[in-house]
Amino acid sequence: MEVASKSSAYRARWFEFLTPTSKRWRLLLGATVWVIFFGLWEMAVLWGWVNTLLVPSPLEVIRTLYELFAERGFLSDVGISIARILGSFLVACTLAIPLGILMGSFKTVEAFFNPFVSAWRYLPAPAFIPILLMWFGTGELPKLALLFLGVIFFLITLIMDHTSQVRAELIETAMTLGGQRWQILWTVVVPAVLPNILTSMRQMLAIAWTYLVIAEIIASTTGIGAMMMRARRFLHTDEIMAGILIIGILGLAFDVLFRWLQRVLFPYLDQEGH
Amino acid sequence: MNMLDEDRMAQSSPSACPPPTDTPKLRLANVSKSFHVPRGEAIEAIKDVSFTTLENEVCVLLGPSGCGKSTVLRMVAGLEQPSSGELMLDGCPITGPSQERGMVFQAYTSFDWLTVQQNVEYGMRLNHVPKAQRRERARHFIELVGLSRFAGAYPRHLSGGMKQRVAIARTLANEPAILLMDEPFGALDAQTRWQMQELMMSIVESANTTILMVTHDIEEAIFLADRIEFMSRHPGRVHEEIIPSFKQGRRLRHKEELIGLAGYGDLERHILHLMRAQGGEDFEH
Ligand SMILES: Nc1ncnc2c1ncn2[C@@H]1O[C@H](COP(=O)(O)OP(=O)(O)OP(=O)(O)O)[C@@H](O)[C@H]1O
Ligand SMILES: [Mg+2]
Repeated sequence: MEVASKSSAYRARWFEFLTPTSKRWRLLLGATVWVIFFGLWEMAVLWGWVNTLLVPSPLEVIRTLYELFAERGFLSDVGISIARILGSFLVACTLAIPLGILMGSFKTVEAFFNPFVSAWRYLPAPAFIPILLMWFGTGELPKLALLFLGVIFFLITLIMDHTSQVRAELIETAMTLGGQRWQILWTVVVPAVLPNILTSMRQMLAIAWTYLVIAEIIASTTGIGAMMMRARRFLHTDEIMAGILIIGILGLAFDVLFRWLQRVLFPYLDQEGH
Repeated sequence: MNMLDEDRMAQSSPSACPPPTDTPKLRLANVSKSFHVPRGEAIEAIKDVSFTTLENEVCVLLGPSGCGKSTVLRMVAGLEQPSSGELMLDGCPITGPSQERGMVFQAYTSFDWLTVQQNVEYGMRLNHVPKAQRRERARHFIELVGLSRFAGAYPRHLSGGMKQRVAIARTLANEPAILLMDEPFGALDAQTRWQMQELMMSIVESANTTILMVTHDIEEAIFLADRIEFMSRHPGRVHEEIIPSFKQGRRLRHKEELIGLAGYGDLERHILHLMRAQGGEDFEH
């Protein structure tokens, strides 16, 4: 069986340093691990290694997922969760992007905001849940606030770091071409850092999912997390697992979306390595 | 905005200055620069550097590593403030970076998100040159550096030498009073390097610009320079001003011509001696 090389005279081995694999092989290998995972799971259920009340079979989970969507209006729960994520994330980004860029560009701005921002980063956002519930009751606000708090300070710091790493020569070139500060900010710093901002957003969106589920499990009657907590009360493990599955799928979908955006928005970058 | 104002950011305006008479283009008088490093003594990078450059002259700063060539150039660019002394361009004190003093760096500075054409237009866009004029002038300079075929390409498709040609075209298209270059060919291979040197000579002839250039390549200095300021270090000073008079004021087109000229070998030997006297100490302790 050939792995990396087409020429049979040249040695082809499964494990080789610094040798890329073909796209077909990557897909096949990637799919294989999932097949093994679900295979083992299905086997464990079939042969009675586990209590089916606690661990339903994967086929059962998928059937439940279909039922949830088709008969039980799960779509609105999913929609609510997505809306919460996007809403709070959007607010966080509109604040973090300009602030992070300014902090990374001008030392005075950094000196003013950074002690504050980095202190907040060490406070885990869930620590605020009790107080948020007291302040905002049980509406949408405490959930959005938790997501916002969980994301904003890391996002600011990431964007600030990327901005301060914009190469000095680029800025100095623009200076000696006669650029004013705000011109340079808009025409050099921002375009130079934009691809990295998108990457930071992709990373922080994954974190936002974590806080969303926490918020919905603790204090919500709607959304994916709330559905899972309801299912727990009735010992519907298949529904809980269907919820986990859909969270995973959505997370992956957003990741793919961001990678696609990266390619579309920044075609001038050499993206082979990403 | 005011909170962010710093002296080095101040843009020098050419309007309020006396008209150029027979004053030199660029004049440095007793310029010194110390760097303050945290928890250490101040490093005196250059001390009492004085020299002048005439209009349309190619002036080369030559010297061993660490003698302060880049520091001098960055002060002329307005990117660094002198600790003392005076820097004047066309009789005007230099107070900060300006379009009049365009700089080409050794590191590649093409803007990745702009095409070659847009890169070359960039400076003119900053200075609000009308679109049609911008496009035309960019086209002219892109042709001058031989990149017409690549006008629509993004920098990632260009070789190192081509990126430097974009940087040179971008700076020239912005019509600086003086072109500053800090080892612009330092990262290039030998072949590309002499091709770029010959390209520079043809540009000097057609574009009529004053150039202040840093290098530590002796041959490059002799080939390009009308005037060489040889610097020594610890602290950095102008050790000797050398006019390569064997060229008899001619500008050479090809590097072969240089080898043939009487006097070239002597000058190269002389500079090598200076370099050796300067550069040896690093290896002694
Ligand atoms: N920002 C800085 N902070 C502290 N010291 C500096 C700084 N810039 C330069 N120096 C010091 O000033 C001296 C001159 O440096 P400079 O870079 O001007 O030399 P150079 O002649 O350009 O050297 P090279 O040929 O290696 O580029 C060196 O001793 C260097 O350590
Ligand atoms: Mg240098």
